[in-house]
Amino acid sequence: MTRTVDGEHLVGQPIDRIDGPAKTTGGARFSAEHAYPGLTHAALVPATVSRGRITAIDTAAAAAVPGVITVLTHGNAPKLNPPKRPTPANLSTLVSGTQVNYLNTDEVHWDGQPVAVVVAETSHAAREAAALVHVSYERLPAVVDFAAEEPNAVAQKGNPVMPGSAKKGDADAALAVAPVTVDARYTTPQHHHNALEPHATTAVWQGDELTVHDSTQSITWLRKHLALRFGVPEAKVRVLAPFVGGGFGGKGFAWPGTIIAVLAARATGRPVRLLLTREDVHRAVGARTPSAQRVALGADTGGRLTALVHTSVTRTSRVGGQPEQVTAPAQHLYDATNIRTAQSQTTLDWMPNTSMRAPGDAIGSFALESAIDELAGELGIDPVELRMRNEPERNPIDGKRFSHRMLREAYALGARRFGWENRSPEPRSTRDGRWLVGMGVATAYHPAMQFTANVTVRLAADGTVTVRCGFQEMGMGNATVQAQIAADALGVPFEAVRVEYGDSALPASVMAGGSMQTSTVAGSVLAACGKLTRRLSTLARRTGMQGRTPTEILTAARVPFIDAAVGSDTRLGALAGQARMLAKVVRDQRTWAKAACGAHFCEVRVDADTGEVRVSRWTAAFDVGRVINRKTAFSQLRGGIVMGIGMALFEEALVDRRTGRIMNPSLSGYHVPVHADVPPIDIACLDEPDPTMPLGILGVGEVGITGVAAAIANAIHHATGSRIRDLPITPDKLVT
Amino acid sequence: MDFLRPTTLDEALALKAERPGAVPIAGGTDVMVELNFDHRRPEALLDLTGVAELAEWSTSDGQVRLGAGVPYTRVITELGDVLPGLAMASRTVGSPQIRNRGTVGGNLGAASPAGDTHPVLLATGARVEVASVRGGRTIAAEAFYTGVKRNALEPDELITAVHLPPASGAEQFAKVGTRNAMVIAVCSFAVVLRPGYAGVALGSAAPVPRRAAEAERFLVAELPWQTPVPLADSLKRAFAELVAGAADPIDDVRGSAAYRRHALGVLARRALTWAWDDYRNNGGERQCA
Repeated sequence: MTRTVDGEHLVGQPIDRIDGPAKTTGGARFSAEHAYPGLTHAALVPATVSRGRITAIDTAAAAAVPGVITVLTHGNAPKLNPPKRPTPANLSTLVSGTQVNYLNTDEVHWDGQPVAVVVAETSHAAREAAALVHVSYERLPAVVDFAAEEPNAVAQKGNPVMPGSAKKGDADAALAVAPVTVDARYTTPQHHHNALEPHATTAVWQGDELTVHDSTQSITWLRKHLALRFGVPEAKVRVLAPFVGGGFGGKGFAWPGTIIAVLAARATGRPVRLLLTREDVHRAVGARTPSAQRVALGADTGGRLTALVHTSVTRTSRVGGQPEQVTAPAQHLYDATNIRTAQSQTTLDWMPNTSMRAPGDAIGSFALESAIDELAGELGIDPVELRMRNEPERNPIDGKRFSHRMLREAYALGARRFGWENRSPEPRSTRDGRWLVGMGVATAYHPAMQFTANVTVRLAADGTVTVRCGFQEMGMGNATVQAQIAADALGVPFEAVRVEYGDSALPASVMAGGSMQTSTVAGSVLAACGKLTRRLSTLARRTGMQGRTPTEILTAARVPFIDAAVGSDTRLGALAGQARMLAKVVRDQRTWAKAACGAHFCEVRVDADTGEVRVSRWTAAFDVGRVINRKTAFSQLRGGIVMGIGMALFEEALVDRRTGRIMNPSLSGYHVPVHADVPPIDIACLDEPDPTMPLGILGVGEVGITGVAAAIANAIHHATGSRIRDLPITPDKLVT
Repeated sequence: MDFLRPTTLDEALALKAERPGAVPIAGGTDVMVELNFDHRRPEALLDLTGVAELAEWSTSDGQVRLGAGVPYTRVITELGDVLPGLAMASRTVGSPQIRNRGTVGGNLGAASPAGDTHPVLLATGARVEVASVRGGRTIAAEAFYTGVKRNALEPDELITAVHLPPASGAEQFAKVGTRNAMVIAVCSFAVVLRPGYAGVALGSAAPVPRRAAEAERFLVAELPWQTPVPLADSLKRAFAELVAGAADPIDDVRGSAAYRRHALGVLARRALTWAWDDYRNNGGERQCA
């Protein structure tokens, strides 16, 4: 364990994660690992049509399987309240992944929608019986082909946080007269989060009190949602999620498995565990929307951008789904004279899409950063130099001030570490045996936000500190960094701080999403610690103990502990908190352009004859504000890059365009990178605090993946001379 | 589902005769995947990991007899010099954990067109030793694969071993996957050169792993056996075309038919170059340990 060195701050140090020993020794219990007396196991039955009505469900064979307790369908399941329509005015309504009232309707809205659940004494019996449930349907005409629907896309509605479109000057006119142009179409397929831990729920009813262990990124909102759906007061619902095995956005919302597990527990009166299969994870949890994008760039011969057009088409569903800010990077990255961005959507009979690591920005940056590279080629200007010539002083789309922006410095640092100056400008000019070698670069960019979180901090006379906050830990290291922050703020050793989290009985926090959890919780922890410090000085003055340790002061004052709270969990307090938060978010958005950014540099090797691609070297230099923990922050950034490698080279949900069924709902068919696909990844951070954020934190969860696919596509172009604009870049695209 | 655990080969054969529907399982790296995906539900599993004699290898009469239960890891570490082609293919299987469990016998039992060892077994002229309570027999590798995931075993037979000649020239194996490890081959290829002999086979590019007979005849006739010179590009190209022509690939989630044909040609050209360089540098004969 790292110990505090006198006079040295804990913030910034690469401290081992607090939950590391529990995870490496198997002591950590995940949501599917809680044993209750009389525990039962559930298995879902997926619909096999994309749109229709259930005409009959034959459960006789399933019910006859030994160990089966019940088979629940819309015919016999307890009634549920329908989900509320999502509205940004009430953020918790967003938590409903879909608008479907599961097992309370005969309607089928996507292939894979659960239409029945088997509850049994063992998971094996449940799964065997689930396969024996026979469902008959009246099929209705379904629209499932994204490519075919693309022409029917309609303009996406915007909101204060995420504008649907934006405009400066007349980009189309400027494009028409620009001496140098690039105008290209890019596509990205449906991606799945595929966290290591499949979604899991253990649900227990005791009377009208509900306890749910759920692999959620969103404890507070899930609790509210369950209370609504099951018609019980929020105070009767407790959601626990101290350990979540990765989320990436896929566990942000309430998906059918969670609701149905709670429903099954209510119906049977017994504790129910529902662990999704990997196939369920693909078919009954939202994924990242596919996209078709156009980027058109116009520049003068000196490389100054005169026109930037970025448009996108994505997919939502008739029963929900998230708009994505695909073209957001185009509003912030380049000082183009004229800019137009527009986002539109198709609506399909499909599982609603959902947020996945850097929603919008991850796929939008692929198109934009590829196009910039293409323009650099047209101009004969080094792609880093082209970016520097167009680096803005103010936010390009609206002239807002940047709270902080050090992209130039990130490029300079990354280029030096990577050895960018050794790159030959000509594509297909470096060969090493059978391998064509290329280097690519792209910008990473992700907006930074701060919400509000309720926190209590207790400082006890024995010198220990307890931080209590219902935030989520999915492997990012949040408890560790908040302990570092609290220890520094109160001047106590790291080991003296205990952080309680992952429980809705704790003060309410934000969901883990949007790269905002660390800064949001840090803001409240700092405020609470400030209150404690002031109380402590008062006590010190009163007892004549100025300059002494907290233990000495509290002992002298005969006070066993002092508490400080930020925010309130009462109904009024929560409403006030939400109003304050929205006001702050909107005010922040109006005043500042705030973001984490960075520069990716990579080297790829492409087999000239088979088209196989190996990523051989990576350097990324980030401006993520202040880094609280070099180890956990770098891990997140590195993880984002690994996920980006998957996006660039492997990941693609293969969809049967006739039936709307995913054909590869497994890790043997849907490939993510393995160790042999990942090179050593060199991470560097500028570590300069953003003056408008708590401790200067800008967030590290998502910026890592942005730009990665473009950097690889650009490197592949440099290696081979082939420009691939459709992800993933598989070998066949490079040889035909 | 019953789980049968014989401890001797005789016991295993008796069980298989009694329960022809029992699916043999060794490392489980194929069978368990099929069970997990619910692609099959056998009435019983016949666990062969307790049968010690299946996990042995020996050399006699100039042949290596490789027990059906020897895992890939041991093929690599213990037989890398004697069976270099098979060891190469074994190194490309899955991950270390899968190589610790998976066996050549299992590869044959599953008879997937994409199985990694099949091209080597075909190109080396391996024979599959099978047994039942009725007695034993050997089947030439090219007669063993009868269809997609089908083989020449009778319902009461078990695979007991594979007989391969030790390398006496040069052997090469090459494969294309969609990522750098943990992949099912998009296509695979093996070539074996011995004095006056050429074995050429391909995998994952036809309903069954198959030999490319015309390409073999071409090599026997056209390779400059007597003069150890580098091969002419024209010869390599002609060979690659014959190999690609021997394929009968399909479009699937791992790759298109056109890409498979193209990539097979590349692998053929490359592997032949390596094999020939190996062959001529070893003077045509190779001393085995």
